[in-house]
Amino acid sequence: MNPYYFASIALILIGLYAILVKRNVLKMLVGLSIMETGVNLLLISVGYVSGRSAPILSEGITPDKAVDPIPQALVLTAIVIGVATTAMALSVVINLYEKYKTLNVEEIRRLRG
Amino acid sequence: MSQYASLLIALPLFSAFFIPILKRLNKSAIMPFLVVVTLVQTGIAAWVFNEIYITGKPIIIMAGGFRPPVGINLYIGHFAAVFILVVTLASFLMTVFSMRAVNVEPKDKYAMLFLLLMLGATGMIATGDIFNLFVFMEITAISAYALTAYNKTGESSEAALKYVVLGGIGSSFFLVGIALIYGSLGTLNMAHIGQLASMINPTAAKIGLALLIFGLAVEAEQFPLNAWAPDAYQEAPHPVTAMFSAFVVKASLYAIGRIIYILSAAEGWSSVLRLLIVLGTLTVIVGEMSALRQNNVKRMFAYSSIAQVGLIAMGLALGTESGVSASVFHMFNHAIVKALMFLAVGYVAIELGGVEMSKFEGLGKRMPITAFAITVGAISIIGIPLFNVFWSKIQLILAALNAEYTWVVALILGASLIEATYYIRLIHTMWFKGEGEKVKENSVLALIMLLLVAFIIVIGIYPEPFWDVMQKAGRDIFDVAQYVKNVPLMGVSP
Repeated sequence: MNPYYFASIALILIGLYAILVKRNVLKMLVGLSIMETGVNLLLISVGYVSGRSAPILSEGITPDKAVDPIPQALVLTAIVIGVATTAMALSVVINLYEKYKTLNVEEIRRLRG
Repeated sequence: MSQYASLLIALPLFSAFFIPILKRLNKSAIMPFLVVVTLVQTGIAAWVFNEIYITGKPIIIMAGGFRPPVGINLYIGHFAAVFILVVTLASFLMTVFSMRAVNVEPKDKYAMLFLLLMLGATGMIATGDIFNLFVFMEITAISAYALTAYNKTGESSEAALKYVVLGGIGSSFFLVGIALIYGSLGTLNMAHIGQLASMINPTAAKIGLALLIFGLAVEAEQFPLNAWAPDAYQEAPHPVTAMFSAFVVKASLYAIGRIIYILSAAEGWSSVLRLLIVLGTLTVIVGEMSALRQNNVKRMFAYSSIAQVGLIAMGLALGTESGVSASVFHMFNHAIVKALMFLAVGYVAIELGGVEMSKFEGLGKRMPITAFAITVGAISIIGIPLFNVFWSKIQLILAALNAEYTWVVALILGASLIEATYYIRLIHTMWFKGEGEKVKENSVLALIMLLLVAFIIVIGIYPEPFWDVMQKAGRDIFDVAQYVKNVPLMGVSP
């Protein structure tokens, strides 16, 4: 077992805790970002091999001396998607604050039933 | 020649990013442009459908000419051909409805997001790679968040916020599932995973599969991750609601089915199936119970949609070919019926300014065609013979009996009974209560509604040709050995 796994799972759980428990919308979104970071760390650590270098071909670096490049490519994509989601969420929050004048999720409850 | 099928992905993408330029040139051309693009897309989808059902072979598109698993492939088989046609056709009808229903600016952004939503669902159905599935799922999700918030009222932002938070949790789960499967097998290509599935570590398979299902369950509206759905359905622009129900949900359900069956050789697989059956059952019960006490008709339809989606998920999780085929048939029928019903209810909302039950009093006299369309849809969903949903419900019941899940039969019948209760209440309100002035109905929308009604009745009377197509589509999901054989994997063997 790789120690990075524990760190990333801890980050995911911290993020999940923030989403489920916090009452401020912005804090929930921060939790979402922390969770995404944890997931990205997990993906990276899946491809990590101790003692090898970055997967960029240059002098002295052959495929057997580099780490697995696929997870790194995936994480780049996942980061971009995460940024897009966060931006989308923040713009929704701006609109929400203009309409409700509060960021407390307990007061943002007009839709029920 | 078959490589032109990649236009299904390319055309909406290019058109979406052409819209800002078009806005500079001529602002009033945006909506007609949207109609033309979706019409062309429908044409391509019909061509692909024809091609696949004549030759009987799937079209496999390899990006950049690299063979999988090095390159990424699109796999358009029997299932994808049918459902891409459903996606494009539903989008086309909804663009026509959008010209009437969407009056809030900025329309150019609406058109872009609309095309991206269609693109995302098409991609989810066509892709042959689980990470690409994630990317297409996020394209769909982000455009769906934005479209939910499109009306810019407080309520629509609230619905969008719920959707964003649940969707974010779901996509994180999905990525963790991908990490587990990649860590265990070292591949992301679905066919390659199917080939190696018997070698996967059982714990990684079980947890990875469960996480992937949870991730997709947000979009697929499975309990307990469907809290966003009724709010978003209620607050999104009316054509978008119809699209959510008609194909966004279906694309995610298909993805659940595909991912489950490619890992069917893994150890501990049947425990994941049981998990999905439990999720589906809870979804049906919660959906029907909540629909029963709704006063807002759009919200009632949303909950009814959730319940139907639970039935589809249960059919996928029966683990037999007949179960998968029945569920595909139910997906198809549900797409038609819900497109019709959300179209009709959205039209009522535009004409009469609301969708509360009281607005539906005397609708049969005020808007007879719309009321007729809603009535046919409601009768069909309940499962009355000679309407399409009857046949798929019968097939689901037969499949459940074959798979020895007798209580599923009771659940389906009980759900139909509850549906009958609230839909008959609605029909009664429309035809036998209240009076009102006649409203002149828009002839194009009336034509679309009558077209969909005709479709429902034709399938209801002649189900065999459709059932044949659906069985082929179901086999496409169920028969993993054939799927693996179809994809030309480059120099790998188990």
